[in-house]
Amino acid sequence: MTDRTEDSGNIQVVLEGAGRKIVVFACTWCALIGADGAGKKRISLPATFRVIPVECISRVEADAVIRAFTSGIDGVAVMGCHLGGCRHNGANLRSARKLELLKPLLDTVGIDSRRLFTSYGTAHEYHQFAQAIESFCSQIGEMPPVSAWSRSFVRAMSARGENE
Amino acid sequence: MSLREEVLTRVKALLKDRRVDGVLGLSLFEKEPVPCLFEDPFDVDALVIEPKWLLAKLAMNILKTAPQEYRLGLVCRGCDDRAVTELAKRNQLDRNRLTLLGIPCTAEQARKCLCSTPYPREIVAGERVEGMYPMNDEQAQLFLTGSMEERMKRWARELNRCIKCYGCRNVCPICVCIPCKLEDDLWVKRGHIPADMVSYHLIRAFHLSDTCVSCAGCTDTCPVNIPLMLLQVSMRETLKSQYAYEPGLDPERVSPVLTEQEKGEGTLFQEPAWIDSLRGGS
Repeated sequence: MTDRTEDSGNIQVVLEGAGRKIVVFACTWCALIGADGAGKKRISLPATFRVIPVECISRVEADAVIRAFTSGIDGVAVMGCHLGGCRHNGANLRSARKLELLKPLLDTVGIDSRRLFTSYGTAHEYHQFAQAIESFCSQIGEMPPVSAWSRSFVRAMSARGENE
Repeated sequence: MSLREEVLTRVKALLKDRRVDGVLGLSLFEKEPVPCLFEDPFDVDALVIEPKWLLAKLAMNILKTAPQEYRLGLVCRGCDDRAVTELAKRNQLDRNRLTLLGIPCTAEQARKCLCSTPYPREIVAGERVEGMYPMNDEQAQLFLTGSMEERMKRWARELNRCIKCYGCRNVCPICVCIPCKLEDDLWVKRGHIPADMVSYHLIRAFHLSDTCVSCAGCTDTCPVNIPLMLLQVSMRETLKSQYAYEPGLDPERVSPVLTEQEKGEGTLFQEPAWIDSLRGGS
């Protein structure tokens, strides 16, 4: 996995851990503001992540995270408001607990819970957002791609003489 | 008097006194055990208590379809008792219409199910045996320990056998959602083998994270012998260590992932200290 640097205009795009796909679920009220700010400030960020805005992170079901991993996403970040500061009656607290409960399951089957990054209220400023994303992206870059995980399924099947 | 005879006497007394209109248990039909609803005390001699058979979901369906005043007795083991508790918490059955006749499992059965509480809260006959801790089982350890790569390979080998018969979902006493996400093409494509089965199994396992009563029904049912119950072990452990919560044991306590945080309760995640100031408390 070679890193390469592209210059497009005055924005420097660093493809770190290229080929990895990262999905960021960002709460409109916190992390998305941070993401917006990072864009306005033209901070250089890894190009491997995509942001999906959600009204509140309680809209992100654990099933959605599972679905992301099984469809080949290498890392999922869920970024919401600080616990106790949710606009929807503490909905993010319940969601946070569910996501924390998902981690042992991810560990059990070998997906590795470090691929799921959760942050509550620590990314509403642009530099905080950039820092969180950068460290998460570099962490995912060091880990094998999730496709290795799904490939092991295909391999086990071809060993049985089935093709897919 | 054997365990079965004691249960028979209890069931007959219940039916004779008209305290229940019917008792759900197992009977032998052509030497095979089948669930049976006994409504006449004279039929009860056909009742058997072995093997383990999950009756909670059946009891729920009987209560849902029977007239409002119908009261049901249920010969149940520890897992059925916990399942009934969880179903009642979720308003799936009316606990007042149900009389439980609790029987303990044998030590052998408990070992087979890796059950930590192989007895109901109230038992009418028999002796309690100690349960076992899933992590002490050698076969379970194989699946729950090791590096990420080892785990991944082991589970890949297991889950690959899945023929997606939906048996694990159908047998599970807690799986009662309508509509079911596992039938929604957005989450799991139906008819695809095995492309979506990882999401199938993980979504199924996670939906039961705070409700799984560890009845081992999924493992027993699986036609290709996937040890599905082991997927739940780590989440159960987390709930137990962080919130001292075990599904099905306390009829009053709501699952911790559905409640607001209480003071003095363990947390799964580190909260920064400044959060307290936002809560308006000390």
